[in-house]
Amino acid sequence: MLFSSIPFLFYFFPIVLICYFAVPRVAKNAVLFLSSLVFYAWGEPRYVLIMLASILVGYIAGILIEKLKGKKSQKVVLGVAIAMCIAALGYFKYVDFFITNFNAVTHLSVPLLRIALPIGISFYSFQIISYLVDVYRGETTAQKNFIKLGAYVALFAQLIAGPIVRYSDIAKQLTDRKHSFEQIFQGIKRFIIGLSKKILIANVLGELVDVFRKTSEPTVGFYWIYAVAFSLHLYFDFSGYSDMAIGIGRIFGFDFPENFNYPFISGSITEFWRRWHMSLGSWFRDYVYIPLGGNRVNKIKWIRNILVVWMLTGFWHGAEWTFIIWGLLFALLLMIEKTPFGGFLKKCKPVAHIYVTMIILLSFVLFNSGGVSQMVGDFKGLFGAAGIAGWNAQTGYYLRSYAIVILIAAIGATPLPTKLITMLQSKMLGTDKATIAVWSILEIVFVLGLLIICTAFLVDGSFNPFLYFRF
Amino acid sequence: MKSKIQVIFVTAVFLALAVWAWFKPADDISDSELRKLAQFPEVKAEKIFNGQFMSEFETYALDQFPMRDEFRTVKAVVYLYAFRQLDNNGIYVENGYAAKMEYPLDEEAESYAFGRIQNVYNKFIADSNANCYIAIIPDKNYFLAKEHGALSLDYDRIFNDVKKEASFAQYVDITGLLSIEDYYRTDTHWDQSCITDVAEYLAQSMGTELEGTNTVKTIDAPFYGVYYGQAALPMKPDTVNYVTNDAIEAAQVFDWQNSKPIPVYDEAKIYERSPYDLFLGGSLSMITIDNPLATTDKELVVFRDSFGSSLVPLMISGYKKITVLDIRYLPGDRIGSFVEFDNQDVLFLYSTAVLNNGKTLK
Repeated sequence: MLFSSIPFLFYFFPIVLICYFAVPRVAKNAVLFLSSLVFYAWGEPRYVLIMLASILVGYIAGILIEKLKGKKSQKVVLGVAIAMCIAALGYFKYVDFFITNFNAVTHLSVPLLRIALPIGISFYSFQIISYLVDVYRGETTAQKNFIKLGAYVALFAQLIAGPIVRYSDIAKQLTDRKHSFEQIFQGIKRFIIGLSKKILIANVLGELVDVFRKTSEPTVGFYWIYAVAFSLHLYFDFSGYSDMAIGIGRIFGFDFPENFNYPFISGSITEFWRRWHMSLGSWFRDYVYIPLGGNRVNKIKWIRNILVVWMLTGFWHGAEWTFIIWGLLFALLLMIEKTPFGGFLKKCKPVAHIYVTMIILLSFVLFNSGGVSQMVGDFKGLFGAAGIAGWNAQTGYYLRSYAIVILIAAIGATPLPTKLITMLQSKMLGTDKATIAVWSILEIVFVLGLLIICTAFLVDGSFNPFLYFRF
Repeated sequence: MKSKIQVIFVTAVFLALAVWAWFKPADDISDSELRKLAQFPEVKAEKIFNGQFMSEFETYALDQFPMRDEFRTVKAVVYLYAFRQLDNNGIYVENGYAAKMEYPLDEEAESYAFGRIQNVYNKFIADSNANCYIAIIPDKNYFLAKEHGALSLDYDRIFNDVKKEASFAQYVDITGLLSIEDYYRTDTHWDQSCITDVAEYLAQSMGTELEGTNTVKTIDAPFYGVYYGQAALPMKPDTVNYVTNDAIEAAQVFDWQNSKPIPVYDEAKIYERSPYDLFLGGSLSMITIDNPLATTDKELVVFRDSFGSSLVPLMISGYKKITVLDIRYLPGDRIGSFVEFDNQDVLFLYSTAVLNNGKTLK
């Protein structure tokens, strides 16, 4: 079920809200767990069993790891449990990739399994692994209550597209969390902002991307419009989803970690990755990069560590060579930025921003190319080597038609709107009671206005795929 | 306190809308879109486990959402006026006229359409003494695209293709007689009262003269055309006019699809879901029109799409009999079972929109 869908917004969510706030505190996690299972089963009725099995593995392994503290068998249990999580992920997500490449190398024809990818498996597998490692490291205690662990892993707010919430981040809140009207309204606002980012910006830009992909008359200009539109589309799609997840979490009394921090204003690729999909970046840092030795090793091993982490980051996004190339491209850039070039970027900000913008655009074109041949075609198109015109009437039409949305998206991807609202708010809230009341009413109008416009877009349109579902 | 009021107010509105969605009786038809709406899906274990129930429920929830048309209007207004999009779902409004952005040219579909027309000619007409003519009706985009900045078909190319691919027929260019004012503002079709000159020119090109004095009648009912629903914008309805004369009044029309006589104009249809069906019963595969007042023995066979429904009545006074065929519904290969071609005038009358979606022809 999509957050940005009528069944979620006007059927599932209201029912869950009523049940959640109607039951006593002790039953709230059970409501969240059961509703999350329904949420998951709505899209994947059969795969709910796989998720339940994964939670059960995490539950039993967590308790065993804690019990076996100090014994050699503790590591074995951890290893087996992680292997089971990765095996499930590998089987469902990567088996056809490996078969395809095996066939290519051996010239055999092992048939593909064509297994549908269980939604959210990349996210909940990583959450279970982080939980188990944290218990092993003694950074958190094992959860003895299956419902609570289930609510953590399966919580519908972040189940299918993150952010990747560490167990230690919300362990306390699973047992004892507070609900306040202020927190609930903050959650509602955050959810509506995320919903608007998804429906009003990402989906509209997605239409442009779709038009580009279907056109029989691409031009060099249209390739660049596509690169800009897709980059913004991806950002608003994914960050919008994270906003919705954080907002829902807040309504239910949870504080989920932030996942985006205006990545497009970065002055380097290193900074970009500190601002983009932060929960994934920190997961790989804490559970892969640091265990491999991080940067406290010799240069060769450090290069290996960087390459491994970024290859895995790329591979996590999809079972295609283009994703691996995408990850390795960032590894290369991050290493280059450790040279004096990084210092140059810090000194020369305009050049740094041009550099980062170009890299982002090109990397997302690579990210969205369905395979190596399309990737080559896309880059040829971008740089005028595909034998196509530079510009035509169709390109002009779509640029004029989408210019305002692209502009809104470009400004919205910077902290400018938030700064303006904060400035206005601080000025108004420092004044008399009447002004505060006006501000409160404006907030209600803002929230309801966006809800109505988003609903209108949903009712009218059918273009509504969530990009991060496939990961 | 402030947050409490905010939460209560927002939640109340949100839940009210949700409860309305849960308990609103399901509508059968969308009048603005001229289609059936999805109903609550059948609850079966099998459909739940294979996900079919969920998929059908999503369609149902979208189709049956309260104030659906009003929400669609909100979307269209935001899309066109706040986002400054040049079209909404491919529909745009210029100078008060809603038009569909027919683009790009589907060469395969166009070629297929010519193939079907050629097939009819080769099989049934080529060996007869019939005189063939072809005329193409431009869609509204032809007149509005440039001003609006919309994308449009390469019309010159289409007209040249028609001349080349249907070289067996004499091409009659009617574009010079048409302007955007000849079309309804909210519909794809032309207004019959504005195309009497087109009918006269076509008749003249086929060596026939139309007789009698025309009278224009106006139906006192609002006409919301197909683009009204698709554009979802607040637009004023059109008024439907129809042209009559002695020959039209006396004409006997027979609907061979349903084996019954029908009137030339059925005013009651204006209140139905396809108001344009008031002209010759709308989308029927085959009808014949006999003119008892005819002063000639000439016969006309018209291969047409929906535009022909309003044009053909204007031709009645020039012919003793008119046979109207729609090969979107009647397979071209079966024409020989119904019509014997012998010395008639044969007019192929199609709109550019049908040529560009030529696979609808059988």
